[in-house]
Amino acid sequence: MYISQAMHGIAYGMILFLIASGLNIIFGMMGILNMAHAAFFMLAGYFCYTVVGITGNFWLGLLIAPVLTACLGVLMERILIRRSHAAGHFGELILTMGVASVIVALIKKIWGTESLPLRVPDILQGMVSIAGMNYPIYRLFVIGLALGVLALMMLLLYRTRLGKIVRAAVSDRDMVNALGININLVFMFVFGVGTWMAGLAGVVIAPLLTVFPGLADQVGMDAFIVVVTGGLGSLAGAFIVAIIFGLLNSFGVQFVSQFAPVLMVAFMALVLAFRPNGLFGAKDR
Amino acid sequence: MKNNLSVKIILWIAGLILLTGLPHVIGIYYTNMVVAFAIFSVFALSLNMLLGFTGLLSFGHAMFFGMGGYGTALALTHIPGLAVIPAVGIGAATAVLLALILSPLVVRVSGTAFAMLHLAFGQLLFVVALKLYKITGGEDGIGNFPMPGLFTESLSTSPVHFYYLAMIILGLCVWLMWFVTKTPFGQIQVGIRDNARRIDYLGYQVPQTKAVVYVLSAFFAGIAGSLYGLSHNLVSAEGSLGLWMSFYPIIATMIGGVGSFFGPILGVAVFQGIDELILRYTESTELVMGVILILVVMFLPAGLMGFISSLMLRLKSRSCKNQS
Amino acid sequence: MNILETRNLQHSFGPLKVLFGVDLQIAQGERHAVIGPNGAGKTTLFNTITGTYRPTAGEVFFNGKNITGFPPYRLARIGVGRSFQITSTFANLTAFQNIRLAILAKDGIRFNLFRKVDQMKKISQETDEMLQRINLYEDRHTKASALSYGKSRALEISMALATDPELVLLDEFAAGMSKEETQDAVALIRRLTEGKTVVLIEHDMDVVFSLADRITVLHYGKILATGKPEDIRNNQDVKDAYLGDLEV
Repeated sequence: MYISQAMHGIAYGMILFLIASGLNIIFGMMGILNMAHAAFFMLAGYFCYTVVGITGNFWLGLLIAPVLTACLGVLMERILIRRSHAAGHFGELILTMGVASVIVALIKKIWGTESLPLRVPDILQGMVSIAGMNYPIYRLFVIGLALGVLALMMLLLYRTRLGKIVRAAVSDRDMVNALGININLVFMFVFGVGTWMAGLAGVVIAPLLTVFPGLADQVGMDAFIVVVTGGLGSLAGAFIVAIIFGLLNSFGVQFVSQFAPVLMVAFMALVLAFRPNGLFGAKDR
Repeated sequence: MKNNLSVKIILWIAGLILLTGLPHVIGIYYTNMVVAFAIFSVFALSLNMLLGFTGLLSFGHAMFFGMGGYGTALALTHIPGLAVIPAVGIGAATAVLLALILSPLVVRVSGTAFAMLHLAFGQLLFVVALKLYKITGGEDGIGNFPMPGLFTESLSTSPVHFYYLAMIILGLCVWLMWFVTKTPFGQIQVGIRDNARRIDYLGYQVPQTKAVVYVLSAFFAGIAGSLYGLSHNLVSAEGSLGLWMSFYPIIATMIGGVGSFFGPILGVAVFQGIDELILRYTESTELVMGVILILVVMFLPAGLMGFISSLMLRLKSRSCKNQS
Repeated sequence: MNILETRNLQHSFGPLKVLFGVDLQIAQGERHAVIGPNGAGKTTLFNTITGTYRPTAGEVFFNGKNITGFPPYRLARIGVGRSFQITSTFANLTAFQNIRLAILAKDGIRFNLFRKVDQMKKISQETDEMLQRINLYEDRHTKASALSYGKSRALEISMALATDPELVLLDEFAAGMSKEETQDAVALIRRLTEGKTVVLIEHDMDVVFSLADRITVLHYGKILATGKPEDIRNNQDVKDAYLGDLEV
C-alpha cells in the first residue's frame, strides 16, 4: 500500500523534475523564467494525442511530440525573446506569459476543452512483480525514462565541449561571450533542450492524467514551485525537491486529500522563509 | 502661476460636475462600466506601487483583492446592521492583515523569487477559499449579502447611489496613492527600485521600507476588491482570487506604462475597451490578451504612457528645430 | 582614541582566505590611504568593515564601540559612510533627487508619508547647496544615468558625504578618471571632507601622496607597513612587494 503510494509519488516527482530541469537550464543559462514552459509541456501531450490518433503508435508520439515542441520553443526564442531585451527582465516574464496564454487558447480552439485519454501500449500495461510486490509497469517506465534523460543531460553537460560552454555560460555569461563563442546559437540550443524536456514530460504524463487544457496550470504550477523551492538554476535542488513534492503529493492525497496542494506550498514557504533563494539557490541575479 | 492655478481649479470643478452628472447621461450599463473602470484602476495602481515604484513584480496580487472582497462580504453577512463604510474598512483591514502576515517572508526576496512566491501563495489562497466552503461558500462564493446604503435601504437597488459611493472612495484612494509618490517615503521607495544596496548604505532599512509599501499596496487592493464584491453583490474564488485577477492588473499596467503613475489607469481604460470589443466578436479573451501582451512587450516596452511621452519629446524637439 | 580600529580582522570566501588578520588603526580626523597590489584584499577589507560581509573572524570598533557585523544601514546611522568603486547611484533619478535621498537619510526622515518632499524647504535648500559645492547645480535635473563619467563619480562620492558621516570610506574614487577629472575630484574631496575622517583605497599614487596623511600597505591580506607617506615611499618591504608584482 505505502510502497505503491510511494511509487506514484516518485513517478510524479520524476515528471516534475523533467519539467523543472528544463525550466532550470533555461533560467540558469539565460536568466529567463519561461512562463510558457508549462504550456509547452501541455502542448506536447496534445501533439502526442494527435500522433497516436494518426499512427496508432505511442512510441512514435514519444519521439515526435517533444521534438515538435522543442522546435516551437526555439522559434519563440528566436522570434520573440531575442528581440524583447529592451523590455527588461519583467518584460521577458510577461512576454512568455503572453505566449502561454496564446498556446492555451489555441489548444482550446484546436482540440477543444474536453479531457482526452491516451492509451499506453500493451507492453507498458499492467503490473510487474518484484520481490513479492506488484508495481505498475508504466510508472517504472516513467521513472526509468526520467533517470535516462537525467543521465543523458549529465553526459551532455559534463562530457562534451558544448556542455562545458553551457556550464561556463551559466556561471558567467559575459565571459563566454567575450571568448568569441556564438552565444546566440548556444541559447537556441539550450532553449530547444529545455522545451524538449518539458515536451517529454508532457507525453509521459498524458496516459496518467489524460490531456486537458487545465493540465498546464495544475502540473505546471507544481513544477514552478519545485524550481523556486529547489533554487532557481540548481538541478540538484530541483531533483530533491521534485521527489519530496511527488511524495508529499501522493501521500497528501492519501491522508489529507483535498489539501495536498496546500502541503506543497506550505513546504515552499517554509524553505523560502529560511533560504529566500531556495534550497540550493545562488544569489538572486 | 496664478493663472495656472485658476485653470487647474476650473478643470477640477468641471471634472467633478462631469462625474456627478455622468450616470444620468450614460445610463446604468455604462455607469456600471465606469465603476468597474475605477475599481480596476485602483487595483492596477496598487500593483504599480510594487511593480513600477518599488521594482517588485507580484503574480499573486489577487490575494489582497480577494481578501478585501471576502472580508467585506463576510462582515456584511454575519454582522447584522453593519454599515457599508465600516464593511469596506473591514475588507481593507483583512487584506492588510494578510500582508502583515506575509511581509516578514516576502520582503527578503526580490525579482523572480518574489514573483513566483506570490504566484504560489495566490494559488494557495485560491485553493483554500475553494475548500473552506463552510466559510467561503466554495465555488459558489458568498452572494446576496445585505448591502446597506448610506441614505437608501439597499445599494443593490440603487446603482447610481453605489456609483457615487464607489467614486468617492476610489477617488480618495487614487489621490492618496498619488500623494505617497510625492512624499519622502515615495522617494525612498523609488530608490529601492533603482538601487536597493545604496539605500541600505544611506541608512534606510530596505526590508522595513518594502514592508510598508507592501502593506499600503495590499490596503488599496483590498479596497478595490471590497468594492468589486459590493458591485456584484458576490465574492467568489474564481472571480476575486483567480489567476486571471492577478494577471489583469499586470497586463493593464504593462499596456499603460510601468514607469508612470497614471499609466495603469490608461491601461485599464484600453483594456476595458478591448475587452468590450472582444466580447462582441469572439469568445477567446485569452488569445487576444496573449497577443496584446506579446505585442506590447515587443513594440511598446514602456507602455502607452512611455510611447506618448517619447512622441511628445520628439514633437517638442522638432518644433524647437523649426524655431531655430 | 582611534575613530576606527580593526582587530585581527579575517575573511574567507569558502576555502579562499582573503584577509589574514588585519589590525588597522585610523586616527580621528586623518586622511588614510589603503594601497596594495591587485588582489591584496583592499575592497574585501572595506566590505567587512562596512557590513557588506560579516567578517569570518576579528572585530571592528568605531569610536570604541564594537560594530562587527553591523548591517550597512546601522553603520550609516552612527556615522560611517562609504562610496563605491563602481558607480552606484540611482540611475533613473535626477542628480537633485539622488542627493536629496542622502540629505533625507541624514535628517532621519524615513517613513514620512504626510508631506510632499518638494515642499520641504530645508531639505531642498541643503540639497541645492550640496549640488553647488560639487558643481552639479546646472545638472540638477539630469538623470544620474545621463551624467558624464566625471560628474557621476562626483555624485557617487558626494552621496556618501551628504549624509554627513564622521568617517567615510572611499573605494577608488578616481577609478577610470582622466588626469583632469582626477585633479577636480581630489580638490572636491579636500573641500567636502574637512573635519571628517577619510579612509580611501587608491591605485593612483599621485592621488595617494597628495591626499593621505598616513598610508597602510596591504599585501596578500596582511598589513605590510603603515606610516607617513615619506616612510612608505622609502620602505624596502613595500618596494619589494610592488616591484615583485611588476616582475610577474
